[in-house]
Amino acid sequence: MRLTDHPILGRPDRGRVVTFNFDGGEMSGFEGEPIAAALRAAGVAVHRYTKKHRAPRGVFCAIGRCTDCVMVVDGRPNVRTCVTPLAEGMCVKTQYGAGGGELGSSAAPEAADGRATDEKV
Amino acid sequence: MKRYDLIVVGAGPAGLSAAAEAAAHGLGVAVFDENSRPGGQLFKQIHKFFGSKEHKAKIRGYDIGAGLLREAEGLGVKVYLNSPVTGMYLDREIVAETDGAVSHYRADAIVVATGASENMVAFDGWTLPGVMGAGAAQTMMNINRVRPGSRVLMLGSGNVGLVVGYQLLQAGCELAAVVDAAPRVGGYGVHAAKLARCGVPFFLSHTIVKAEGETRVTGVVIGRVDETWNIVPGTQKHFDADTICVAAGLSPSTRLLLMAGCEMYEPVPGGGRLPVCDEFTGKTSVQGIYAAGDVSGIEEASSAMIEGRAAGAAAAAELGYISGGELKARLDKLETALASLREGMFAPKNRGKVFVKTDEGYDISDSLLRNGYLADGEATKYPGVKSVAGIHPVIECTQNIPCNPCQDACPKGCIKVGTNIVSLPAVDEKAGCIGCGMCVASCSGQAVFLVNEDVGGGFATVTAPYEFLPVPQKGERGVALDRSGAPVCEAEIVDVRTSPSFDRTFLLTFRVPGEQCSRARFWRREVRRFGRD
Repeated sequence: MRLTDHPILGRPDRGRVVTFNFDGGEMSGFEGEPIAAALRAAGVAVHRYTKKHRAPRGVFCAIGRCTDCVMVVDGRPNVRTCVTPLAEGMCVKTQYGAGGGELGSSAAPEAADGRATDEKV
Repeated sequence: MKRYDLIVVGAGPAGLSAAAEAAAHGLGVAVFDENSRPGGQLFKQIHKFFGSKEHKAKIRGYDIGAGLLREAEGLGVKVYLNSPVTGMYLDREIVAETDGAVSHYRADAIVVATGASENMVAFDGWTLPGVMGAGAAQTMMNINRVRPGSRVLMLGSGNVGLVVGYQLLQAGCELAAVVDAAPRVGGYGVHAAKLARCGVPFFLSHTIVKAEGETRVTGVVIGRVDETWNIVPGTQKHFDADTICVAAGLSPSTRLLLMAGCEMYEPVPGGGRLPVCDEFTGKTSVQGIYAAGDVSGIEEASSAMIEGRAAGAAAAAELGYISGGELKARLDKLETALASLREGMFAPKNRGKVFVKTDEGYDISDSLLRNGYLADGEATKYPGVKSVAGIHPVIECTQNIPCNPCQDACPKGCIKVGTNIVSLPAVDEKAGCIGCGMCVASCSGQAVFLVNEDVGGGFATVTAPYEFLPVPQKGERGVALDRSGAPVCEAEIVDVRTSPSFDRTFLLTFRVPGEQCSRARFWRREVRRFGRD
């Protein structure tokens, strides 16, 4: 999914490779790129499940406007992954509903429908 | 509280232009933007811009953005990034949030250049991951350098849909189709033609019935719409796709203007509100507050930059940095530049009008509007397409759009647009084309070709612009495609040209049987057997 070369933009100027944790598994991406870009490159499409209908959501506007791509990042829910830079050792989790009642809790128990597991890459 | 003469909200084309203009007149200027990089959407625009020299035509968007940023910074403009402006209060006071801290700033004048956000179409399944704005796809591939998907369906045939569709192909994605509920292609015909000759099918009078998939998009169903926009039974078609891009127009981001108490109006009932403002300087009903760029009405980046300049100049005059006479002189110049962009079939004043003829009286191609390409034999009706001995330009530019770089590019005076930049370019067959290719590379719509109808042995050559990877090599064999993307004949690459002045556009020259030179308009690597595919 990553563009290694481009007829107009040429080769991308990337940051250093960093590892991060996504839903318990290790992944890598480039430092400073949006978290959503690293996830997209790894084939992850689902960022969260909505609270009421448990419907999947992913990147929608990619400019920090719509909040569809929010996830739990380093224990903090509702982080807009399309505009939040990736850093070494980040812990990124699929968000369920509002991301738990308080800061620091990652997953709400009601979302245990198994679909998120299918999305892990 | 920190004070500036002028605060600009939004570091896009309009905002940066306003800031640079005002700073050039001596104002102390600060620009606030919520993003981590300045430039708004300019750095995502990898195509060459339309217009004429004064509008920076034939320069790619990101280069225009870089130039603007250099200019503003060189003039001492302070740019606050990662700083969304969350409030606007009495006496031109704003609140911006940086790194979680809220700060107040005040200015004698404020230019609101907050741009616009993408509209959505709520079809069944529109919330599935994989459905995104066309702008989102553009951000993913041109800024983040990640493909938004492998196989994409584009909903919307306006310039955004067409331009982003082409960029998806450049990024190596497949484009399954361009779909639009309107009966005619909404954007420039030349943009549609670029896609069509790559083989992208157009489905006008169609819309998305549903996006398929459980947790992400796996396919799309489209259907034809009748006059009342309902799906005609039995017309549904399925496409495999992992991504759906929606390019259904933009809505001005007017919240700050509302908060400031600016008077608003609804140009179309139910179609959203716009600020009541001077259509040129963007002066709103609240003293000292200006609106520039898309927030004052959706146009495009070239006009946004001029509006920004006008707002910056007006603010400078209001604060006494320039005289009324100086302002008038400056505005007259800017107004002429803006007026020429606001001419032609796609001008804001002509929105929704259906043109059947050009200003010159040529028929507008129905095939171009329905299928995205000129039908065989149609091109010769236009003044840019002539049959001449020897190498000559063939300009398939058939709508009145504000653009004239081809005229300036030709060192021999072969191409005439005239003083009205929306006129169709005409080829002067007596002027003596030398085959330099500058016109081919200069055309933002990639609508100029060089044709030599007889190079001997019953062959002809066609030179076409090429902006894909890998770049073909001389001697390589492939197939020539017609304007619809259908293979017409085998074609060998006989020349590949590049030059700094072509700005990353390659010029491919391929050899085809003489009778195909009026049809062959694109080259594809794979060799197919004719009559069997």
